[in-house]
Amino acid sequence: MATTEIGTGGGPDRQPEIDWVAAERSPEFRELIKRKRSFVVPATIFFLSWYFGFIILAGYAPDFMGEEFITDGMTVGYALALTQFVMVWGLGWWYLRKADRVFDPLAERAAEVALQAGAEGRARRFERGPTDESVRTDEEARPR
Amino acid sequence: MTYFAADVNELALGIFAIVVAITLGITYWASKRVTTATDFWAAGRGLTGVQNGFAIAGDYMSAASFLGIAGLIFLFGFDGFLYSVGFLVAFLTVLFLLGERMRNSGKYTIADVLSFRMNERPARAAAALGTLAVAGFYLIAQMVGAGVLINALVGIGFELAVVITGAFMIIYIVAGGMLATSWVQIIKAVLLMTATTVLTLFVLGKVGWNPVDLFREARAQSPEGEAYLKPGLFLSSPIDTVSLGIALVLGTAGLPHILMRFFTVPDAKAARSSVMWAVVLIGAFYVMTTALGFGARAILGEGATEAVGTGGNLAAPLLAEEVGGGAGTVGGDLFLAIIAAVAFATILAVVAGLVISASGAVAHDVWSNIVRKGEDSENEEVWVAKIAAVSIGAVAIGIAVIGGAGLNVSFMVGLAFAVAASAIFPALLLALTWRRFNTSGAVTGVLLGVFSSIALVIISPTVWPGPDSEGGMLSFYDLANPGIISVPLGFIGCWLGTVLTREEIAERSFDELYVRSETGLGAEVGTGLTLTGRRAGDREAVPAGTTTLPHP
Repeated sequence: MATTEIGTGGGPDRQPEIDWVAAERSPEFRELIKRKRSFVVPATIFFLSWYFGFIILAGYAPDFMGEEFITDGMTVGYALALTQFVMVWGLGWWYLRKADRVFDPLAERAAEVALQAGAEGRARRFERGPTDESVRTDEEARPR
Repeated sequence: MTYFAADVNELALGIFAIVVAITLGITYWASKRVTTATDFWAAGRGLTGVQNGFAIAGDYMSAASFLGIAGLIFLFGFDGFLYSVGFLVAFLTVLFLLGERMRNSGKYTIADVLSFRMNERPARAAAALGTLAVAGFYLIAQMVGAGVLINALVGIGFELAVVITGAFMIIYIVAGGMLATSWVQIIKAVLLMTATTVLTLFVLGKVGWNPVDLFREARAQSPEGEAYLKPGLFLSSPIDTVSLGIALVLGTAGLPHILMRFFTVPDAKAARSSVMWAVVLIGAFYVMTTALGFGARAILGEGATEAVGTGGNLAAPLLAEEVGGGAGTVGGDLFLAIIAAVAFATILAVVAGLVISASGAVAHDVWSNIVRKGEDSENEEVWVAKIAAVSIGAVAIGIAVIGGAGLNVSFMVGLAFAVAASAIFPALLLALTWRRFNTSGAVTGVLLGVFSSIALVIISPTVWPGPDSEGGMLSFYDLANPGIISVPLGFIGCWLGTVLTREEIAERSFDELYVRSETGLGAEVGTGLTLTGRRAGDREAVPAGTTTLPHP
């Protein structure tokens, strides 16, 4: 929620001042991306492997999937299918916790820094006159 | 043409009427509150995570999930459950890769995100094409399914059932937009979860509350014996099973009607909590459908194979009738009628979500941003959306009625997922994460994804020469599910289109999209409309649909 309020706080006249290239390079934003990636990338690799492992076993090893698990009537396949449900709930819950505690505060910080830099940039340009505006816009759009 | 068969189920019709009356009442109420484009497309962005979680569940779980999976399990045992697993795991793809980013950087449609930093018109056109393909195939499958099911459950003629479904779907959207659609989806989710839970409890009660006894009894009742609890009775080709898995787990993250729901919440935090609520509901639901499927097998037995119809769609309703006391008893009739009404509500919620996403592609993407280049008024956009919703609804009704109950739709939901996974998912993911990705890449990827999926399904044995034939038209190609080929093709298209071209710099940079999608900076704000209609006082001042960063 905090992140949105930062976003909506400025109003249309102030917002376009954000220097997106600088914001993207800011240490705060890099930190957010780094932390987020270090969770999302392994988690995605894990759930895709676990899921496709299950699907491949179902396709290529039906007899193994049909073997008795713990008690007659319960099969390895059904038990593995249930682990997929547990995985979805578990990873989902873990991600939400991480996002609330780690990613959101970092995102908020990165947004604040970008807004501040934007406000300072505007103040500087106001002193130096409007010619800067076009220069800066070009810079923003320059690809890397 | 008979509109009413001799055996109209008046009780079911009565419960239908109550459900429909409630949703129409809400739609009328919503119509007075939906005043701006943001209200119409995104319910004012005022839904809470819980509300949107229920709405996603209602949007997602089609009659194919409810009756179809229970039926597949009844007929083929374990293989039916494979679908459920894929349908659920897919939400991790949504949660980790797209949900929050969509909320942060989009406005009303997936094309907003795809075209954000690109040459807008071609990128939007590609996204709109992908959306219409997915929504179109899905919608036709749902409409034909609706006709067949309502016909079987209530005794109304197929054509009339299709027309009624289509008419309500159009009314919800034209009058109440996303606000009414969200309500219909939430009500449906509550009805579906309640009915499934009650039915599951009755089934478990019958076998002494031990689920494993249910599996044993189901196995005993199946002529397949041991094989009934193993994979392979329905999905007999291993490579096809894997291919299906790919389409399911990536396709959900490319379904426009699901992604569109993320625009209805105020921020990224609510977007992710809505995914969590949705997976709790959807997961619990799919676990329970195994109780229904195996329960139908254990309780109804092999004798019911004919009665459950092709695909086993009537297994769950017949099971309800049986545990309610049996055919002809008050309890049995009541249970059957309730399940029939829930199935109807299920279909209505899904088709409404599909039509509003398709009308978004037509009105917001094609009309407003491509034809009118963003110079039309908000009012005009909403009117075009309503006209589009009526037209799309009418075309879907027309195709379903002309195609008739015999239209082979078994491949269409699979095709919708394949297109979503091969065309929409790769392009969206790369637009949000790959700096170098450009307009040519997006257009090539979407086109290759859409057309390779369609072409591969056409030459698959299920379509050509026909569902009952041996092998496909091409002797070396016999996949029913194209995902394993079309998804890589979609990604390759995105990559090739990008590396082979150099492009003029777009108005907005990747940096802007990247920072916005990850931090929520400059995200679209709501209008103060909430699901219950109150407008929060402090938000009243925000002009509707205003973005804090003016769209160029």
